Amino acid sequence: MNDAVATALVGVFGISGSLLMLFSALAMFRVRDALSRINVFSPATGLGMPLIVAAVYVYDIHTEGFSWGSLLMAVAAVLCLIIVSSVASNTLSRASVLSGQPVYRKTAPNRLARPPAGVVDEDPDSPDQPRAGD
Amino acid sequence: MMRLIHGISYLFYIGWAIMTGSLTIVARQFLPGRQYAQPMIVEVPLRCVTDLEVTLFASSITITPGTLVTAIAAGTSTQPPVLFVHALFEESEEAALEGLYDMESRLLAMTRGRAPSGPAASSAEVEQEEGSP
Repeated sequence: MNDAVATALVGVFGISGSLLMLFSALAMFRVRDALSRINVFSPATGLGMPLIVAAVYVYDIHTEGFSWGSLLMAVAAVLCLIIVSSVASNTLSRASVLSGQPVYRKTAPNRLARPPAGVVDEDPDSPDQPRAGD
Repeated sequence: MMRLIHGISYLFYIGWAIMTGSLTIVARQFLPGRQYAQPMIVEVPLRCVTDLEVTLFASSITITPGTLVTAIAAGTSTQPPVLFVHALFEESEEAALEGLYDMESRLLAMTRGRAPSGPAASSAEVEQEEGSP
């Protein structure tokens, strides 16, 4: 791999990854509630950081030559970034909903506004008040 | 063998969905004169049965930019498990559900070897239960 190709690839991957981080951060100011902010940040973790890893990997190939160890590290890093960010977003959104964060009032339809069908376990024999959905 | 082919095509599908979703989130900031996002939380009754399928589907939805799983309701003997998905850039609830069912069909083709042929979900039951408080 000659110098020009390597430099161009590193630049394209690194700069587009960084721009994705920047625009994801800017998009967080365009939406109004916690759920949407978690939602619009996924380009940064799902595509921006893997692109930066790709840039580092190309740079590593160019300077130190190909090695299976660095290829393995790059693939593992990309896979872990995608899987971990997905699970982390799930956890964040669940925490945000369960802690009662307000949802933007123009969210329509909002199927979480009522208890999900079949989840509230109502005992027909019980004379108690029906519980709030939990 | 078919599962391997379906699995590889599913990986490409997820990668393509990540790229187009990221482009949507970035590009819509530069379209003036319209609302940036139309948030909605839709209810998706699942055809996935096992824990692995439900986990993979929820992770796939969340990693796709623009959709986010907010809650998972466990299935009962009569109800399928239900995902509550927060979607930002869909025109309508039907469009959001259609995209999610497309992804679920591809995922089930990967885990089961062929796509399920049955109806998507018993949405009639869900509608019925919404009527009766």
